[in-house]
Amino acid sequence: MEASVSAAVNVSILAISVIFTVLIILIFTIKTLVKLMPYQASPAPLAKSGSTSSPQKQDDQVAAITAALAAHMGKRPDEFRIVNIQSR
Amino acid sequence: MEFSFSSSASKIAHSTAFFSLEGGDVIMLGIACVLIYLAIWKKFEPLLLLPMGFGCLLANIPMSMMASTDTGGLLNFFYQGIEHEVLPPLIFMGVGALTDFGPLLANPSTFLLGAAAQVGVYTTLIGAVFLGFNMQEASAIGIIGGADGPTSIFLASKLAPHLLAPIAVAAYSYMSLVPLIQPPIMKLLTTEKERKIKMEQLKPISQTVKIVFPVTVTIVCCLMLPGVTPLLGMLMLGNLFRESGVTARLHETAETHLINIVTILLALAVGSSMTAQSFLQWETIKIIILGLLAFTFATAGGVIFGKIMCKFTGGRVNPLIGSAGVSAVPMAARVSQKVGSEADSSNFLLMHAMGPNVAGVIGSAVAAGVFLSLFGDVSGMDTHAALAPVIGSPEPGIQAIATVVDAIKQ
Repeated sequence: MEASVSAAVNVSILAISVIFTVLIILIFTIKTLVKLMPYQASPAPLAKSGSTSSPQKQDDQVAAITAALAAHMGKRPDEFRIVNIQSR
Repeated sequence: MEFSFSSSASKIAHSTAFFSLEGGDVIMLGIACVLIYLAIWKKFEPLLLLPMGFGCLLANIPMSMMASTDTGGLLNFFYQGIEHEVLPPLIFMGVGALTDFGPLLANPSTFLLGAAAQVGVYTTLIGAVFLGFNMQEASAIGIIGGADGPTSIFLASKLAPHLLAPIAVAAYSYMSLVPLIQPPIMKLLTTEKERKIKMEQLKPISQTVKIVFPVTVTIVCCLMLPGVTPLLGMLMLGNLFRESGVTARLHETAETHLINIVTILLALAVGSSMTAQSFLQWETIKIIILGLLAFTFATAGGVIFGKIMCKFTGGRVNPLIGSAGVSAVPMAARVSQKVGSEADSSNFLLMHAMGPNVAGVIGSAVAAGVFLSLFGDVSGMDTHAALAPVIGSPEPGIQAIATVVDAIKQ
């Protein structure tokens, strides 16, 4: 195919116009979609209670931690008392 | 048969490839080693340049039957994937599965930056024609400015297959050099004050819009530019796998194993086309120079349009995100972030730059579609004609389009 600079300029102007046209159509399409289907935030999660564990589970955790600490400190389990477990 | 040690040794020696090695082969082996060096030690697009360099190495070993033109050779089979438009669209499917179009959907005006960066494609087209390439070759060279490897390979294989190797090498080499090429241009075209502009946080987008978007783009773009359907269609299918939420396995495959396998095949096939005969030409040097021109003008086009948008929005758009309008996802967006944070360390442009960045992917695919409509075999009509004896005559509608295209070409 014969090619001249003026033909290339014409092709360039035509092509860039087509690109802008296609992309502008897409912009308006997206704007319409966003209007028709707006973002809805998912419902907020329920407020956390002080502890996530059930009383029975917490007792088990206290027992396990007490045993581990006693072994680590070289003391008997009744020599110290765990008073609070808090999740951070 | 009588056995003679000396004649057998001589026969073995002459059957080695050393005796067939020519000067061009040696130079190409050197170029292959340079590509491998750049990939491994300089980390220039290693996922592509390493297999591409090795493909080049294999293709230039005489008598190895590993060049893309060696019918029946291993890499000739891989090359069929490029020739028959299989591999680039599959890469696009993986890219679609990896890409989040959320930033673009949250700020659709950034589509304009993706369009503006295509200016690089057309300035290069004009430059290529000026340097003596014909229109089809110039189009294939120009698309380097889109900074999109698969699109460059796709278009080159359709419009100028003989230039595929230098175009692919230029495209991937310059893509890896985006962090070096873009910042000086960005700083030259913007003021310190513009670089410090902070953009508003992007609005969240509903999942339904993210699902409808790929289907809508496919319908709109592919109806307007059918030639680009293999690329855009696969890009959007990959994205639909991602966003639909019901094809987790397909999504995972597309974004990992599939894209990796296809990358190996594609890069080896491109490397196998880098033979002395096709690569050691003056055209290659011209293409390398034009490729740099393409990236420069694409970056400048995006930044200048960013400045225009900045003026029109009363300073709410940072012009630096315009440079991300060249594809090169996500490297170009990272460059916008880096240059922005150099001006103000509390400026975070990355997500804003991802909008024009993914718009650039669509923009360069649309640019390729325009070239195919003008200079290519629209909708595979030549192929259809060749297959007519087997599958019957083309439908009347397709014949009518063919007539119109012929009239335009004339």
